[in-house]
Amino acid sequence: MSLKPRLAMPVVFALVLALFAPRLSAQQTFKTTIYFDFSSPLTTDGAKTASLFNQFNFRRAYFTHENKINDNLKFRFRYDADNTANITSVDFAKSSVKKDDKLRPFMKHLYLEYSNLLPNTVIRVGMEETITFKLAEDRWGYRSVAKTLTDGYKDITGVDIDATSADLGVSLTGSLSKYFRYGIQVVNGVGYSHAENDKYKKLLFQAQLVPLAGFSLVGYMDYEKQTDTQKALTYKIDTTFEMVRNLTVGLEWFRYRNDRNTVAATGERYDVGGWSLFGRYIVNPDKLSLFARYDHYEPNTRMSGDQINLVIAGFDWAPFSTTFRIQPNIWLYNYEDSAKKNDVFLALTVFMEF
Amino acid sequence: MSTRKFLFILAKGLLVGLLIFGVGSLLAQKKMVQIKGSDTMVNLVQILAEEYMDRNPGALLAVLGGGSGTGISALINGTCDIANHSREWKQKEIDQAWEKGVKPRFFVVAVDGLSIVVHASNPVNKLTMAQLGAIYRGEVKNWKAVGGADRKISLYGRQSNSGTYVFMQEHVLGNRNYSTDMKEMNGNAQIIEGMLSDEGGLGYVGVGYLFDEQGQVRKGIKIVPIAKDDKSPAYLPTDKIAVNEGQYPVARSLYQATNGKPSAAAASFLKFEMSPEGQKIVEREGFFTIKPKDLVQNEKNLQ
Repeated sequence: MSLKPRLAMPVVFALVLALFAPRLSAQQTFKTTIYFDFSSPLTTDGAKTASLFNQFNFRRAYFTHENKINDNLKFRFRYDADNTANITSVDFAKSSVKKDDKLRPFMKHLYLEYSNLLPNTVIRVGMEETITFKLAEDRWGYRSVAKTLTDGYKDITGVDIDATSADLGVSLTGSLSKYFRYGIQVVNGVGYSHAENDKYKKLLFQAQLVPLAGFSLVGYMDYEKQTDTQKALTYKIDTTFEMVRNLTVGLEWFRYRNDRNTVAATGERYDVGGWSLFGRYIVNPDKLSLFARYDHYEPNTRMSGDQINLVIAGFDWAPFSTTFRIQPNIWLYNYEDSAKKNDVFLALTVFMEF
Repeated sequence: MSTRKFLFILAKGLLVGLLIFGVGSLLAQKKMVQIKGSDTMVNLVQILAEEYMDRNPGALLAVLGGGSGTGISALINGTCDIANHSREWKQKEIDQAWEKGVKPRFFVVAVDGLSIVVHASNPVNKLTMAQLGAIYRGEVKNWKAVGGADRKISLYGRQSNSGTYVFMQEHVLGNRNYSTDMKEMNGNAQIIEGMLSDEGGLGYVGVGYLFDEQGQVRKGIKIVPIAKDDKSPAYLPTDKIAVNEGQYPVARSLYQATNGKPSAAAASFLKFEMSPEGQKIVEREGFFTIKPKDLVQNEKNLQ
């Protein structure tokens, strides 16, 4: 009897855990992180707001268990939950399905991490976060309010790109000096929501230069064959300035190319892309910060008038503790397409961690 | 909504943002000095801060523990003004600081004789550095192997965000991993509690945690003298001369770090800590005073 590849990884983890079972009392941490908000459309005739209502929403609910087996070896298990419509039953006689929106947990991370096998390196094996968004997300700092440009691209534009925050595979990250860091990752390419569906693997590369204290420049690229003759590529640049105390300014630019994305009428390939400028300022450490961001989205380089501009601004207030933060924020959408009316949302986001 | 209206809303938003920014900046000028980090140092720095605030009405300082790693991270992330740390920064932390534009300046504010403690009934009267390292790596598991009773050694240590954990690992364990049998405690006080109830216990704590409110070594624990090697005499961490002259092998500096030149409020507190008055408090709390060469370097770093 042979194990299917999708079952092999959990079995390997289970065996490794069993191996270390007597030692699991060392350093275990359990953490829950929740992004909860109340959002309200301030316009009622926009492309998005026309059909939306005021609503409370759990946008993310993470449960993370980490176990440091020793100073080199660490294990992480993270559940996430969302309320994407789930099919709960299928009636073949009536050719109908039933759906609900219950929050359901799913596995986001399940990996082993080994540090310093080679000096200043980290190796991860399993379902792990990709290197695609991590640096930009850390610098933006407000994942609770909004995903970063590339991460949230599909949510904003409706255009799908192969960009996922977690995937099954292996990675090597490290630094050669304080001026240079790198990351290499090989993953299935379908993300954490699906089992592998083709024979091709996705390769991700990242190089970070920090030539001056507080100035960072990151070049990123990923590649995956789509068919034997077609491929998909993402190019990305992130730059960050943290040269003024308490102020962070970042710029993210990316371009996604997929040979399968073609204009129906002409057969020409189109790319998608965009750029994002963001900043945050710590007014009072652990108490009050301000943040703002401008995004420009280009869903189809062969089409004019489809670009979207988005402005997000708000503040982050921790009245009692950093584990409970209130983050009022406003979202303003502007469409190049003159037929689409602008959208304005107000959201009261609450970040909780315990 | 037209583009013009959109831009109007955007301009209003930016204006409100700038107003918040301006008011916020003014508020920030009156904020308290936030100090975070080393659990070994937290009691000492809290007492120093209280005495400083008594002498300087209007001065506001908040002191939190969490471990050296926590304090260093907070300084790198801009969430504290002064980081307390009982170990030197790791290369990874220096690299992170560089990436985030943080240029740390270091100040030695006290000296600690890291103390090796056991239950009062333990007959062991000396351990060498090699023996101590072997025990904490899990290579020696019974007190009998180091001159004690035939009893299993029960190891107590700190969590990995502790500077003391890292200091021991670097200076005693030869940068190798701790025994997986070690109980990783939240703080020095918990290790002392462990020693009081565990006859096979072995732990390490900052020298300031050895004493009770009367300044006497706590009843129920015993401090083990430590020798550099088989041929060297063993010393106690309470021996001021041995610590000052480098004969006690697990003595260490206790540091504070700021991001670049400290603010006026932070610099004023640092000067108080280094002053004869501040150093008298350091001694009163069981730690040792800084050396003249550290004082000279501290003063340079204040400029």
